[in-house]
Amino acid sequence: MDARLANTWRLTLNEKNFIKTALLSEIRIDGRKPFEFRNISINFGREDGSAEVQLGQTRVMGIVTAKFVQPYRDRPNEGTLTIYPEFSPMADPSFEAGRSGESAFELGQIIDRGLRESRAVDTESLCIVAGKLVWAIRIDILILDNGGNLVDAANIAALAALMTFRTPECSLGGEDGQEVIIHPPEMRDPLPLILHHLPIAITFGFFIDENVVVIDPIHNEEAVMAGRMIATVNANGDICAIQKAGEGVSQRVIMQCLQLAITKAADITKQIKAAVEAYNSERALQKIKRETTCVGNSVKGDQNQTLDNKGISELVGKYMERLKLISVESYASKILMLRKSNH
Amino acid sequence: MRETAMEVDREDGRSQNQLRPLACSRNILHRAHGSASWSQGDTKVLAAVYGPKAGTKKNENPEKACIEVIWKPKTGQIGKPEKEYEMILKRTLESVCILTVNPNTTTSIIVQVVNDDGALLPSAINAACMALVDAGIPMKHLAVAICCCVAKSGYVILDPTKLEEQKMKAFAYLVFPNSVHSVLPEGSLRVEGEPIENGIITSVTHGIMSVDDYFYCLERGRAASVKLSDFLRRNLQQQSTDSSKAG
Repeated sequence: MDARLANTWRLTLNEKNFIKTALLSEIRIDGRKPFEFRNISINFGREDGSAEVQLGQTRVMGIVTAKFVQPYRDRPNEGTLTIYPEFSPMADPSFEAGRSGESAFELGQIIDRGLRESRAVDTESLCIVAGKLVWAIRIDILILDNGGNLVDAANIAALAALMTFRTPECSLGGEDGQEVIIHPPEMRDPLPLILHHLPIAITFGFFIDENVVVIDPIHNEEAVMAGRMIATVNANGDICAIQKAGEGVSQRVIMQCLQLAITKAADITKQIKAAVEAYNSERALQKIKRETTCVGNSVKGDQNQTLDNKGISELVGKYMERLKLISVESYASKILMLRKSNH
Repeated sequence: MRETAMEVDREDGRSQNQLRPLACSRNILHRAHGSASWSQGDTKVLAAVYGPKAGTKKNENPEKACIEVIWKPKTGQIGKPEKEYEMILKRTLESVCILTVNPNTTTSIIVQVVNDDGALLPSAINAACMALVDAGIPMKHLAVAICCCVAKSGYVILDPTKLEEQKMKAFAYLVFPNSVHSVLPEGSLRVEGEPIENGIITSVTHGIMSVDDYFYCLERGRAASVKLSDFLRRNLQQQSTDSSKAG
């Protein structure tokens, strides 16, 4: 018990007073102005649907995967979307391994409300066979470094990952028209998810003095602030979700914050779209390289695939092998299950 | 008789003994006391170190420092393979760190898999060592890890990708101490007449291989670990000449 207390990170009283006093003169300890966001940088991983966002010192990774499930009974033609936030102990000395605390749960709920309840992700397009087979999208949010304002960074990571995620194209076929055929990416392009709008979360911190409001607090400011509001808005000016906790704040301040949030959301949306565009064009270039080698002889394709004259069937074989490695449950066994259930 | 001149057709065009491109960076996280990112080709692992923290766990010896490893897979639940990796990492790092310097403390190492394309455990061990160096935890020497595979036809390849690992008859993860450049006289650092880098810290094998195959893997692995040690040394020396972390 003593050991755990000794290991928790705490701000000293002097530091807390310094932060509060500086804010009264509109000075923040990292040199920003009160309504200035930190720099956002978005990087993508090797596979589709993996994005890493750095918001100042905060670092969050979003990973999107999909698998086949049976739909819920009351929503037979909609796919599902679930968010799994993970507060890794590497991000903060106070995060414990194993079950994450309530702040992880809250983060998951806020992002979930922004994405699912506001219908940002089109779940009806995830349906393959109504009532039997739909895609279940799983978003894992890994917090790698807690520099403050995890919700905003995690939201951006989830959006960037969703925008670059691709599901393989499926069609119905077979003798009875009930078999699901999954097309490998070399045959048919995998499909992106349909996103109607991009809900962006913006966090505001309130301090004891009513006039002191900051946007995008860092972890030192988070330890000092008295209240917090997370507004999930999109670039069209719609408010998707609001979460407010802590000290009471007047209505006037709330309205000002919402106006500011919509402006900031427009900027961030532009940034995300630009990053995704750059990634997509690079991906298209790589695909062109791969396709031209299909025709030629033993020319090296991109990183993992060197093609030889053996033809397309080997390619499919290799892809099916990789499919088995990518997903935990292989697609082939799911097709078998579907066939069995229809007999 | 080992066919050393055999031409092996690897998918990405590497030769039998060629490693994938290595990349390593230290001090990438701000809250952690030490952090490192290690990538071999497409396999990428992130390691963070917090410590030494006060107190040891219940079943650990309080007269020594204790090492705790937390392995985080890319997605999904933590299961038995993750627990096994944690145990192997813990035992390897316990033999590398000097545990008597800070008794009754716990050093936590958190390993996060960013991408898995074969040779995951060796990458994690290398990343963890770099993170420990970044945190300033006292160590006797570094641990250098490599993966060797044995194919059905008998040839041995180093640093396989995930597809290659799946196709091989057997593979072995080997961890060696790094090569030593010392100012002390030649004979003093030898253990029982052999130089330190000929020792082996950890060996984990999967699949069936003959004894000869295993010794051949050790030999190849040892040769590769010299190259890896050089890479580590260059990387660490370069970063230490950059401005210090003070302030």
